[in-house]
Amino acid sequence: MIKFNPKLLLLAAIVLAVSFGGRMAGLAVNPTQQITLAVFAGVISTTLFFWERRVAAAFIGVAILIACHAMTLHTILKATELDIIFFLVGMMIIVGVLKDLGFLTWVIQTIINRRKMNGVSFSLILCVLSAMLASVVDEVSSIVVVLALVFQVCDTLKLRPHPFVLMAVMATNIGSSATMLGNPVGIFIGNKAGFTFAQFLVGATPVAFAALMVTLVLTVIWFRKDIRAMTLAMARHRKMGLGPALKIPYKTGLFILLATVCTIAFHHQIEHALALGGVENHNAFLIMTPLIVAGILMIWRPHRARHYVEKDVEWWTLLFFMLLFAIAGSLNAAGINGEPSITRNLADTLTEHVKGGATAMIPFVLVISSLGSAFVDNIVFVAAFTPVIQNLVAQSETYSILWWALLFGACFGGNITVVGSTANIVASGLLEKHGHEPIKFFDWIKIGAVVGLVTGIVAWILLLVIPRSPAETDRETPAPAIVEPAAELEIPAISPYEQK
Amino acid sequence: MKPEDLHLTNFFSAEDIVPHCGEMSRDEVIRRLVPNDETYKAVIAREELGSTVIRDGLAVPHARVATLSQPKVTIATSERGIVWPGESSAVHIVFLLLIPQNQPALYLQILRALGTALKDDQVLRTVAAMTNSGDIYRFFESGKAYLPRYITAADIMSREFLFLHDTDTLQVCVDTIIKNGVSEIAVLDRDNDLRGIVRAGELLRLCLPEYLLWMDDLSPIANFEPFAEVLANERKTWLREIMVDDFPVVKPDAPAIQVAGEMTRYRSPCCYVREGNKLVGLIRISNFLNKIFRE
Repeated sequence: MIKFNPKLLLLAAIVLAVSFGGRMAGLAVNPTQQITLAVFAGVISTTLFFWERRVAAAFIGVAILIACHAMTLHTILKATELDIIFFLVGMMIIVGVLKDLGFLTWVIQTIINRRKMNGVSFSLILCVLSAMLASVVDEVSSIVVVLALVFQVCDTLKLRPHPFVLMAVMATNIGSSATMLGNPVGIFIGNKAGFTFAQFLVGATPVAFAALMVTLVLTVIWFRKDIRAMTLAMARHRKMGLGPALKIPYKTGLFILLATVCTIAFHHQIEHALALGGVENHNAFLIMTPLIVAGILMIWRPHRARHYVEKDVEWWTLLFFMLLFAIAGSLNAAGINGEPSITRNLADTLTEHVKGGATAMIPFVLVISSLGSAFVDNIVFVAAFTPVIQNLVAQSETYSILWWALLFGACFGGNITVVGSTANIVASGLLEKHGHEPIKFFDWIKIGAVVGLVTGIVAWILLLVIPRSPAETDRETPAPAIVEPAAELEIPAISPYEQK
Repeated sequence: MKPEDLHLTNFFSAEDIVPHCGEMSRDEVIRRLVPNDETYKAVIAREELGSTVIRDGLAVPHARVATLSQPKVTIATSERGIVWPGESSAVHIVFLLLIPQNQPALYLQILRALGTALKDDQVLRTVAAMTNSGDIYRFFESGKAYLPRYITAADIMSREFLFLHDTDTLQVCVDTIIKNGVSEIAVLDRDNDLRGIVRAGELLRLCLPEYLLWMDDLSPIANFEPFAEVLANERKTWLREIMVDDFPVVKPDAPAIQVAGEMTRYRSPCCYVREGNKLVGLIRISNFLNKIFRE
């Protein structure tokens, strides 16, 4: 039973303010769109105030949208982005198999076996490992692995793990933006924008790398006392080592990981070879590769197949994503009488008020998505903002640079607070599970805000310096936005590009 | 009728009381008190498992009877005392109890009511000295021997239990676990307040870091390499570093069903009974099952 909580009042106030504010600002032009805005604000606010109840809120939100004719059951189902969900399911199963085979244990063991390390070299290895793992598996799996390393080392040396947890989390969030595999936000943006894996890699990795280097320097300076303490402790503990010296087999796991990443990297060529063209088959092999690999692995290890599907797939999170995508999709639905969608109105308002075109809008999108991601799950903001950018890109191709601003804002902004990304929340939970006090909100925000600000500036500068990366010039046809009106039988679906 | 409205005398009348049995043996008394051979065998079989003398002078032989719909009590008294096998002192009151099989907690509720009626040895001897069954019945009828609404943790807990202090070492803990064949031990602080428990399973987890348990096949560490470091430090590892604080705890007056719930929730073989901060009893799952299903 929900007890009365002052946060409930705040939530109600936000819902009403967004709903009526949206009407006054001209974003919602009819009562149905006002309800749509209210539902979206309600679900976002629930993730902020009542994290545990976010799935419940999304269930109710979807039901309200159907009941108010904002969406139909058909359009809701279409908007759940099952392609992205399938991709994530496949990747989670692969990570489960990598754990099972000892590959991730080997990664940790390799570092523990190193005898000549000091605080600085450990911090560098930790940050680079966090970023690399996050870019090839996912941010949550990555943080679980690197924190196991942090706890092993800090428990052995009897040091506070908190500074190293923060370093690892920040590197993870930054590294997760480097490829489409690192973060649900990446595959969502990549798929919506129509980037291939390679185009995404070329567009995102240099910025992520630069941001990582800057973060490394910042955190090493920020935590210099703790790093010095680790150096001294390591010197004292050199004979004992940092844990049991073991040889863990890794070749099978490494082969699976490389094979998966390589197949995904060449998905575009495979699609061409199989004549999988057109919007219907857009990025088909990007989505299918993790499922194919997962399928092969489960045929190979049938006795563990059920375990991988039931335990290694985060069904709770995926269910939330599906419902959230559906609710965000409702923002992009045209009105019942053909009025423009909320996101279309927002795009028009932005182009009207932000003079200077795409270049001027980069910092705007970076700041909005950073601040948004700092307080609610970054996928929430990305899901809501994606159709806005789709509408802007439909007006002018130059706005496609905003996809990158959205990506980096969402991923780097996740560093600002303890609730900024799923990796942060998982890390905080792991700290408690290991008997340590959680990192205080303001302790986090002090370093988080600095890292968020500096990496945001780095992204901004690099987006300005490289205004037309290959990702934009060679970009494919974007995936169509969801703009089916509620009364789909009476009014045919209109794409945002055709509305004006 | 609610359990709290039930009085002990609801289950017997003056005709069910056999006063002044004289020098009968245990088996002869039981034979006299039970209705048939089958029940006699069931009561004797229960006695063979362990004496039912619950305190000096008072025996409560009992059995669960599938065909019974209501509990049935019969009483025998002997001022001179009945020799009870395995007991050093003679029994003066035999309170024979037949319980329906489908009422697992009733035995303990009746025991509580009996404890209220025969509150001390003096009362017990007074009742044993009564020569008339009507007097004995009236004695029980006049008392406040109502059945409690439910049995509590205190009714089924053991007041003797193993414990260690948080300043003890891992070495002491491992030795205690091996010597006593237990799977977990309570940990108290220097004020003897309950602070946590140490589980044998957690000791294994101490030796096997989580990242090693990710592997399905542990043959790469078949030589117990991770145990070596823990073994080397077992005299320097204090229990306060390894004890856990998530374990089933109930108050003494908690319903026994709460004990079952807590043990199920934590998948734990023990439930700890705490009054304030002090550990006052321990309920092992084997004791719990015995009390509810067998006794």
